[in-house]
Amino acid sequence: MNEKLRLPAEESYAAELKALAAGDGHRPPGWALSPRQVVTYLMGGKAADGTVITPKYVGDKRLIETAVATLATDRALLLLGVPGTAKSWVSEHLAAGITGNSTLVIQCTAGTDENQIRYGWNYAQLLAHGPSRDALVPTPLMRAMESGKLCRFEELTRMGSDVQDTLITVLSEKMMPIPELNTAVYAQRGFNIIATANNRDKGVNELSSALKRRFNVVVLPLPDSAEEEVAIIVKRVGEMAENLDLPAPKNVADEVARVVAIFRELRSGSTEDGKVALKSPSGGLSTAEAIAVMIGGISQATFFNDGKLTPETLASNMIGAVVKDPVQDTAVLGEYLETVLKKRRGFEGYYASLTDLI
Amino acid sequence: MAGEVFLFGIRHHGPGSARRLVEALDALKPVAVLIEGPADASDLLPMLADPDMVTPVALLTYAEDNPANASFFPFADYSPEYQAARWAVRHGAALRFIDLPASDRLGASDGDIAEEIAARAEADPVSHDPIGALATAAGYDDGESWWSDVIEENPATGPIFAAVADAMTALRADEKSLSAREAAREAHMRIEIAKAAKECDGAVAVVCGAWHVPALAERRSLAADRELLKGRPKTKIKATWAPWTAPRLARASGYGAGVVAPGWCAHVWDMRERDRAAEWLTKVTRVLRDRGHFVSTASVIEAQRLGTALAALRGRPAPGFAELREAAIACLCNGERAMWDDISAELLIGAGVGAIPAATPLAPLLEDLQRQQKVTRLKPEALERPLTLDLRSDSGLMRSTLLHRLNALDVPWGRLMDAGRSRGTFRENWQLRWEPEFAVRLVENLLYGSTIAEAAGGRLIEAMGKEAELGPLATLVRNAMIADLSRATEYGIAALETKAALTSDGQSLLAALPPMADILRYGEARAGTVEHLAALMPRIVVQAALALPYAARNLDAPAAAKLRGALLAADAAIQLAQIETDVVAGWRDALRALMNDDQATRLIAGTAARLLYEAELLSADHAADLLTRMLSPGTPVAEAAGFFEGFFEGAGQRLIHDATLRGAVDAWLMTLDEESFTASLPLFRRVFSALDRTERRRLMDALFARSTDAAKGYRLIAGASDLWPAHQARVLELLTAGAAR
Repeated sequence: MNEKLRLPAEESYAAELKALAAGDGHRPPGWALSPRQVVTYLMGGKAADGTVITPKYVGDKRLIETAVATLATDRALLLLGVPGTAKSWVSEHLAAGITGNSTLVIQCTAGTDENQIRYGWNYAQLLAHGPSRDALVPTPLMRAMESGKLCRFEELTRMGSDVQDTLITVLSEKMMPIPELNTAVYAQRGFNIIATANNRDKGVNELSSALKRRFNVVVLPLPDSAEEEVAIIVKRVGEMAENLDLPAPKNVADEVARVVAIFRELRSGSTEDGKVALKSPSGGLSTAEAIAVMIGGISQATFFNDGKLTPETLASNMIGAVVKDPVQDTAVLGEYLETVLKKRRGFEGYYASLTDLI
Repeated sequence: MAGEVFLFGIRHHGPGSARRLVEALDALKPVAVLIEGPADASDLLPMLADPDMVTPVALLTYAEDNPANASFFPFADYSPEYQAARWAVRHGAALRFIDLPASDRLGASDGDIAEEIAARAEADPVSHDPIGALATAAGYDDGESWWSDVIEENPATGPIFAAVADAMTALRADEKSLSAREAAREAHMRIEIAKAAKECDGAVAVVCGAWHVPALAERRSLAADRELLKGRPKTKIKATWAPWTAPRLARASGYGAGVVAPGWCAHVWDMRERDRAAEWLTKVTRVLRDRGHFVSTASVIEAQRLGTALAALRGRPAPGFAELREAAIACLCNGERAMWDDISAELLIGAGVGAIPAATPLAPLLEDLQRQQKVTRLKPEALERPLTLDLRSDSGLMRSTLLHRLNALDVPWGRLMDAGRSRGTFRENWQLRWEPEFAVRLVENLLYGSTIAEAAGGRLIEAMGKEAELGPLATLVRNAMIADLSRATEYGIAALETKAALTSDGQSLLAALPPMADILRYGEARAGTVEHLAALMPRIVVQAALALPYAARNLDAPAAAKLRGALLAADAAIQLAQIETDVVAGWRDALRALMNDDQATRLIAGTAARLLYEAELLSADHAADLLTRMLSPGTPVAEAAGFFEGFFEGAGQRLIHDATLRGAVDAWLMTLDEESFTASLPLFRRVFSALDRTERRRLMDALFARSTDAAKGYRLIAGASDLWPAHQARVLELLTAGAAR
């Protein structure tokens, strides 16, 4: 029995990785698997010896192929997408598949500074012996460069633009100067970077063009079909409600289907039957936000509404998700309510309570 | 002495096979080149080599008595058939089409054609484009990439055309029975090939779709083949060349085969041995830069590298269309698929337009016009001549439709004299005059279709696709409806719907309403289907109502005047169209909000108040209160004047009859000091100038209370009460006498 709450990908799927590694195929320097085996590892299939490989990513195979091919060319990879599109998941599994190590991660936040990207100093050493390699505290990036592994940057755009730009030299020249010691760290073959970022979110710093053009960008899309999305949300809401000790009301699945229908229509800019074109609000309206709306609604229902999940309780949560810009989004939502929802059966509750709220 | 027959199985519009075919012909030097195409159009083939002929062009065959029954066989630069024909003309080889004559296809009754279409739909994927089907089976998006990877770059196979023939033989090995038409086509080709082989002394090259190669190579008895051809339908046909466009190449028709990406095919053809990937990516970059995106050369290099890596990952010898597309998205479009979709139409389809030599025989559009002139009994005359049409009669409607269609084709033979007024009535007044240059203009329209109806529809659809504004788009839809062009109307209504949903500009939403109301009314007069539109108009009204309060704020004088005009027209349209009451109620609510909105431009607020007053939703007392408030001394004069103008311009008569209103205005006028009064004078003049002399006099009379009872402004002369009975008796006598006759 393992005490860790969650194991890194290369440990949870060690058997699959081992079976794939047993097959042949040309491997770029520093890679544990061949590019084709990495694609199989992510998309699922069979290893050479017949071991079944579970799919890690459900979606367009071309995207994963592009991602793997990018990493094979020593170009850095940027996975872009709205929250909740499996960016970090894909990045973790890519690192696990390619180098067998997904733990070299830098979590970028607004508080991340250069010392956490390049290297820090052990001040006791520094004071006692002066600047030397021994006084350096390497970061995951530095260790990845020295050992020829993949380094992952989570939420790249959340750190300040000036800090982001430290990566430019590393990406183009594959080396990191240490001016204090008049030396530099040179990346070993196999080193590369996978970054994830939100393309539609508040509180992010736009990537500079100089940095952006050093990445190949793969945008991970939202789920294709409504059924798929509803299934993801119902499952996730169930898990979360359990975690939070919230009893899940019986009609969760029905309400999820309605919330998803509204979210998908607003997000895609047309009704599900494709007959009426709509405007989209400024927010992303991702699957993750739909989950948050449901959890908020259930929590409200449990504590204030005798456990009954009604359109009214959900509507107040939905407003927060849809209306990110008070003027523009209110107009968009108002138009949607009047032209689409007003006449739709089964949505009367949503129409009435949303209209009241805006 | 018989010639030897060589079969070349090609991929229709395949640049790869076109290149190989030219090489093969150069090596073989045949004395005759036979091409899969309607045999009765053979004499047109040499024109392909005319220097004035610019691809894409299409061979157009149509039934003499009904040009709508037509088929097109497009040729692009990279069509193997086109290259073969040019080769033959250049080298003086005999050149002939060998497929079933067009008269067969066009002669088939409708039922047969429907059957054939059904049969084709079943057999389509493999028999129509077998190479494309093989490529799809191998996981390729694009047949050309498969051709170059598998057929051309595989050193193991022998000569390319032999390899293709082998593949087709394998494909056709377990084929079910052929449709009657397919069997007849192949029989016809076999007979023609045999005939050519007998006549010629030397090599005979046959250029046909790869699918047919095994069947044409087979030896069958001539008699059996003749048997297959017996009893085939026949009709009189005509054939000519028509200019074609790249977007139309992308559509399936005749041998057109629906080229998925004409732009890519042209690129592959142009590149020949040059670096296809790098030049394609450079093209992508150029288009992106033209659209204002920033793309560096370094990114192009990276895209090229990614393409190569992707090809390696997929086990392909060189990056093909799919790899380059994905590389372009990842490296040049920042991963945004939308950006690629934005440029892909320009890149993949292109905008090339073909041209035909002046000597091309006859134009079907002119013929169609002559026929319709006969049917409608309208003669082209160079002198101006008026024509009045009653749309209730069939002949009137037919003539009107023809004239409207010609107008849509920019051939203004007839000009509608009272355009704008006669809509919805049953009468149209035209002024006819035929100019010789109309014939030329008509021929130019061949691009859009082979009959006047088709061409007019095609041309309107193109115009609708380009129209960005809602109002003009609605006008185009109305034109399409008047000209009885159902396809264009449907397309236009769909376009209207999308545009309406995406716009939030109140002005353009309002602008769309009057033509739409016209269409709704016209739909009744013309018996067209307007159901969809009837649903769309209320939606636009709702949207306009929602957008109005924002649209009316912070406008300067010209913008406000424009919006005022749009608002009045839209309100009239809403009343005219008789839409659902709750939608109208929503519209009125918006007007009310406008009236009470302090931020709304005064002119617009005044207009809204006036519309509500006219709709009797604002009582006279309320209106007077409102006017008094708006015109009270506390309001700046400029604003008060704006409101006043909005309310009264074009409705001065109201003041004559409406004492309460008049009192309010009067009181306001009296509060003005001399300076403000002078400043507002031009405004008053504008409002009152719309009244004629009598009306002005009546207003004066009313103001100075010269009369108190019903007949305001008129005084009874003395003794009238005595005279009147006698006058009345005489008038009655005259009237009844008139009625008796």
